[in-house]
Amino acid sequence: MASLSEEVLLVVKRVRQRKQDGTLYLMAERIAWGPEGKDRFTVSHLYADIRCQKISPDGKAKVQLQLVLHTGESSTFHFANVSTALKDRDATKELLQQLLPRFKKKANKELEEKNRMLQEDPVLFQLYKDLVVSQVISAEEFWANRLSLSSVDHSLSNNNKQEVGISAAFLADIRPQTDGCNGLRYNLTSDIIESIFRTYPTVKQKYAENVPHNLTEKEFWTHFFQSHYFHRDRLNTGQQDIFSECAKQDEKGLKSMVTQGVKNPMVDLLALEDKTLDEGYGTAAAPSTSNVTKTLRENSNCAIIKRFNHHSAMVLAAGLRKVEACSDQTSETSSTDGNSRDSDLFQPPLKKVKLQEAIEYDDLQSDCRRKPISLNLKKSDRYSHGPVPLQSQPYTSSQDILNSIGVIQHEMKSYKPRLTQVMSSSAASSAITALSPGGVLMQGGSQQTVNQLVPSDVQSELKHLYTAAGELLRHFWTCFPVNTLFLEEKVVKMQSNLERFQLTKLRPFQEKIQRQYLSANLTGHLEEMLQAAYSKFQAWQSRRMTRKT
Amino acid sequence: MASEDEINILVIVIDVNPIWWGQQAQREPKFTLSKCLDAVMVLANSHLVMARTNKLAIIANLYQESHFLYPSKNWKSGDDIASSGDGKYELLSVANDLFAEEIRKLMDRKVNCTQTETLLAGSLSRALCYINRVSKEVEAGQDVKSRILVIKAAEDFTLQYMNFMNVVFAAQKKNVLIDACMLDIDSGLLQQACDITGGLYLKIPQKIALAQYLLWVFLPDGDQRSQLLLPPPVHVDYRAACFCHRNLIEIGYVCSVCLSIFCNFSPICTTCETAFKMPLPQMAKTKKKKVKTVN
Repeated sequence: MASLSEEVLLVVKRVRQRKQDGTLYLMAERIAWGPEGKDRFTVSHLYADIRCQKISPDGKAKVQLQLVLHTGESSTFHFANVSTALKDRDATKELLQQLLPRFKKKANKELEEKNRMLQEDPVLFQLYKDLVVSQVISAEEFWANRLSLSSVDHSLSNNNKQEVGISAAFLADIRPQTDGCNGLRYNLTSDIIESIFRTYPTVKQKYAENVPHNLTEKEFWTHFFQSHYFHRDRLNTGQQDIFSECAKQDEKGLKSMVTQGVKNPMVDLLALEDKTLDEGYGTAAAPSTSNVTKTLRENSNCAIIKRFNHHSAMVLAAGLRKVEACSDQTSETSSTDGNSRDSDLFQPPLKKVKLQEAIEYDDLQSDCRRKPISLNLKKSDRYSHGPVPLQSQPYTSSQDILNSIGVIQHEMKSYKPRLTQVMSSSAASSAITALSPGGVLMQGGSQQTVNQLVPSDVQSELKHLYTAAGELLRHFWTCFPVNTLFLEEKVVKMQSNLERFQLTKLRPFQEKIQRQYLSANLTGHLEEMLQAAYSKFQAWQSRRMTRKT
Repeated sequence: MASEDEINILVIVIDVNPIWWGQQAQREPKFTLSKCLDAVMVLANSHLVMARTNKLAIIANLYQESHFLYPSKNWKSGDDIASSGDGKYELLSVANDLFAEEIRKLMDRKVNCTQTETLLAGSLSRALCYINRVSKEVEAGQDVKSRILVIKAAEDFTLQYMNFMNVVFAAQKKNVLIDACMLDIDSGLLQQACDITGGLYLKIPQKIALAQYLLWVFLPDGDQRSQLLLPPPVHVDYRAACFCHRNLIEIGYVCSVCLSIFCNFSPICTTCETAFKMPLPQMAKTKKKKVKTVN
């Protein structure tokens, strides 16, 4: 039963859960449901565990509320009170909406982060299984190092949160759905509303003026979508429309933007015009704009293109406006929301900069940096002798030399190749035995690699052992030099962890490979690493003892 | 099965240092230069017979010069060649005759021996040039696989180290294998060369069976060697020699300016005369502090 200290915020009777009648209680930190007539709660969820809530659509007969937990489970509550079901359900929903965000933030993010990391990295997952599930080290130690990275990012991101930009297609994304009976249904989310306000500050103004005094929010948006301001063909017929002013202001803004032009002297917007291909691949000039008799289609095309341009300009401006607002209040360049502030005074420097950029190339300029210091070698002949140690050449006297040369010349004078008597068969066969496998010259070559001798499951288990051992040893070695109390405790703990690892993981593996008669020494290196860690620990401990005494 | 489009070039570099061979003749009369040349000739013939498109070159490696024994400049096709009379493949008989003639002429010349070591780097570079020339002369679409077999008798000549290493790296770039057959002493340089280019290094225990070793180990070319069971590669000593004593060291000090290697620390590098600051040991500082507190 609920503890006496819990504050009950809402009680809803006649709520069914799993076809049982009962009562729903919303407390300060949890939501609970108990069946009718019983004292206990059968279902209780902390707000921190709830990921989100869902409600059944308005038209349905059953009024239901579903709670989805982080673990994926869900509980559904059916509000069965005939008269007040909807009201109850909505009251519950509102309360939950207020309470859930409070408890949501911390725990859920960390857990999600951990799960995500485990799922993304199979090596990490294996390591987790090897170390934590088999209780060699505790889960906190495992996550201690890893999560520190993400928490740093988190704090950074809270400080300089990047502004989310506006999608240029936000209006198009609304995508009205037919309601069945000649009406249209627009789904507006808060993101879209925000985009509209940021892009069209005039609409925001109108909203501030009218809501909630004159119109409700729903009515405002209905008017918005109904008005021709929103639609394609803007016929300013002077209707009683709060948005007609917006349309006029947009026109003004567009005109001023056009007159302001682009600040880059290299770009000539007026030179851009439509050129179509004429006969013979020449270009045909577009019909001049002074021609009065424009077709109706051209007119509407013109209008829609103008609207597109205006829309894009507003979207870009909204993005820039935030940046400029924080950086410089009295910006010299004109603001970009359609109202121009003439900045003729400051054009020349900009033009100069642009011109210079266009005519100069940095990497073609001469390099007038300081000359670097040159290498000055005194005894460069040292490089030319190789890794051949100085050996005294055997001395041959000139008499020997002349003798040898004489002998050879004598021999070669009468050289005639005798290819049938190159060598005796005994010499040949002894050479062959030396070259056969097992012979004198073939020692050390025919070993099979360990790769081929050891079965693959043993290999993969060895790899897992190496990763796990590596992780533990990394924790161990990062404790040195031991400066703080925390590190001391950690060192002792890691030492015991290593011993436990050796006992629970390494020994069974060694026994297993012994049983399989594998003679290769697979775990020698692992043992060496663990021994090094043990000896370091012992040295540290003995030094600590001597320091204490 | 070697395709018709593949050309295998074998260049044999024989060490015919007369001094060594003369001493060898006095040491061991059973195996003299003639025997060695006979064995090489057998290998050369076998190589030419293996495929019609195989090419051969033999370079004799003397002190101060290297000389092409085959193909020789003096040979003009169409010459009146006395047929050997035993029905031998003409190419082989021509090759053998030329070979013998050239070596006779070479040995007959008066030599001026101021240096007694053999110039290996020179012969290897000539071999590479020959390979390069032949590779350029083949028709388009023909693959050229080449290797150099070095038969070495005398010791290494240490002054040619830089040139030798340059040749070896050039061979590696050109995918030319360098094999080595050592008759007498192990040579570290050739071990390195074989390791770098992927060739075989073998020191022969019995010189009289040279032909057998040549045919067994050095006749198959690079592709075929992977299918055969041949002597395993030797462990090459890649240790560097320190610049001061020329001892081979495993751990040493390297100057960060000129990259010269020393076995002991010295505050000034003797090659580039850069001064290095030695970090003061920490002990001196703490001792001073203690003295102060006592006072």
